[in-house]
Amino acid sequence: MKSLKTKPYLILLAPGLLFLVLPFYAWVAGVGESFGFEDSPTLAYYSDLFHSERFLASLGFSLRTSLVATILADTIGFLITRWCYASLTTYAHRLTVWLPMLFPHFVWGYVVILIVSETGVAAQLLEQWGWISSEAFPVLTRDQHGIGIILTYVWKEVPFVILMLYPVYATMSNELKDVVATVGGGRFQQFKTVEWPNILPTLFETSLIIFSFTLTAYEVPALLGTTFPEMVSVLSYQWFYSSDWDERHLAFAAMALFSMIILFVTLIGYLFLNKRRWLMTKGQS
Amino acid sequence: MKTITHTMLLSCLFILAACNSDQTQSPSDDRLSALLDQPWNKITEEAESSTVNFYMWGGDEGINTYIDEWVTPKLKQQYNITLKRIPLDTPEILQKLNNEKRADQEEGSVDIVWINGENFKKAKENGLLAGSFTEKLPNFNPYYDTDSDALQTDFGTSVEGMEAPWGKVQFVFHYNQTKVDSPPESFKELKAWIHEHPGRFTYPNPQSFTGNAFVRHLLYKHASEPADIYNQPLDKEQIAPAAEGTWNYLSDIKPDLWREGNHYPNSLTELDRLYSEGEVWITMGYNEARAESLIEDGVFPDSTRSFVMKPGSIGNTHFLSIPYNSTNMAGAMTAINFMLSPEAQLEKLQPSPWGENTPIQLDQLDPEQREAFKNVKRGESVLPQEKLETSFLPESDAAYVDWIKEQWFNEIAQN
Repeated sequence: MKSLKTKPYLILLAPGLLFLVLPFYAWVAGVGESFGFEDSPTLAYYSDLFHSERFLASLGFSLRTSLVATILADTIGFLITRWCYASLTTYAHRLTVWLPMLFPHFVWGYVVILIVSETGVAAQLLEQWGWISSEAFPVLTRDQHGIGIILTYVWKEVPFVILMLYPVYATMSNELKDVVATVGGGRFQQFKTVEWPNILPTLFETSLIIFSFTLTAYEVPALLGTTFPEMVSVLSYQWFYSSDWDERHLAFAAMALFSMIILFVTLIGYLFLNKRRWLMTKGQS
Repeated sequence: MKTITHTMLLSCLFILAACNSDQTQSPSDDRLSALLDQPWNKITEEAESSTVNFYMWGGDEGINTYIDEWVTPKLKQQYNITLKRIPLDTPEILQKLNNEKRADQEEGSVDIVWINGENFKKAKENGLLAGSFTEKLPNFNPYYDTDSDALQTDFGTSVEGMEAPWGKVQFVFHYNQTKVDSPPESFKELKAWIHEHPGRFTYPNPQSFTGNAFVRHLLYKHASEPADIYNQPLDKEQIAPAAEGTWNYLSDIKPDLWREGNHYPNSLTELDRLYSEGEVWITMGYNEARAESLIEDGVFPDSTRSFVMKPGSIGNTHFLSIPYNSTNMAGAMTAINFMLSPEAQLEKLQPSPWGENTPIQLDQLDPEQREAFKNVKRGESVLPQEKLETSFLPESDAAYVDWIKEQWFNEIAQN
């Protein structure tokens, strides 16, 4: 017990280990199920997945929706941070920007439905002001292009992007930009050589978090998605809770596949970033 | 690092392998059979001052109130049993039991589970239930028509005394009588109505419980006899003509459905919301009396009435069962027996708080009790008992549910 006094961080080891071991075990067990480990290892479930038109359609839809949501959230979040970071020093401003982060995703999904559904607040207001006739409001939620899903995620993740990028901008030195300006660099050169390398790692990390979350989360697509095409998370949920417990393996296989996609993207990203860093230290950027 | 990962993977494999034990005689089987050998009064004696954990779907306030404010105090008073209601969706309860089964856990925390249909089939097939016990219940044989189809089979799965009938519901459609003058009397009339009123009708996605039941009605309609479906296990070739008729019907109405059939409500709640906003004029649900509480809460307009169509309306019985690893089977049996009693069933039929139909056989009750059941006023939106009884169609094999989910997706949603 003496070691606990000299090394207080050891106390954190037990809960830390628990938090790591449980999800890790769940992950291993899940991947195991996807190979049908209970009986004999098989790739049949993966082969079923890739022969299922329904799965392929929803895979494409999921990847597209998540990618669009991530890029939009990144761009908007980046622009807001870049233009407004000076005014974000006051608490009131920061609070307004981060307000959507206080709500769980499904609550925000309902908010989006309340506002932009065909009979929502926006449609009623526009109709009252005489800008559109009734029934002319476009279908923006539970639509076939995933607009409702993208809208919810963008709205919800922009504050997160700002939260991540704000410290980078707050600590970025303006002198470097002046240096670029002195040697004749324009605004684009300033951005490219000073800002971009600074924010890239953070932006990549943020995008990865948003992309993985959007790709696999269930509640928003379940609320705002349509009948077809559906997100893979919704399809997996149906497989998981289907009365045919054999379909469960398909759910595990789909989710294991997504883990692999995410791990792969992460790996590529970090290799790329590390290479850049390495080049930068050599002064060849 | 590599060795650590290896060790963990290996240990995980061992754990998985250990779960694969055979399913022969287990301590829980003995537990139930020992109990069944005893006289009933010994069972209630054993149940005294115990706690019974009742896991049930908790999404309806009326049902929860009935359990918490009527059943629980009565059980305490009459048998000194503490009933603990634990709200959980049925698939999740089964998931929990299945995990316990795979981990060979013989002492579970679930004593009673509210179950029917595909969940019962799944539980029975995976050995998650204690066994046959209903014959032992003093309230079962005298008051229930134990030989009837409705109690012998549950969505085509043989009950074999493994679950006791608790309630009965029937599928009805609801309409707003200020907007719909005379509701359709058959599916043919419904189709004509949909074409005359584009965008005013839709049905929930058949991945959901209610939407699936709607499609089953169509399958019954397109078979030469509804009995061809509900008396048969699923045979894809045999039902091919009926299936074709069903998909044709659904494709035919699709362009005139709400949002041109591009989006189907994901759940009954979504359809109900459309109905309450006046977007669609007809809604539906697997409970003949459910509009009453919705009208009372102001969700549905007061002018909501219900109707059923030819060839009939599908109804089902739902049940109470005991899991294989219950540690208080005596308490569970006592509580289930009480919930089957005419007294408890009569209270359940009262429109407030629950208002649900009873599987009890009225002519097996004494005249006074029968009168009491007949005098219950269920509300204006509920069809008269005779109408419900004459249109009653039993449920089909649970396999149809999955088959419809998949086929509907291929035939209707993807096109």
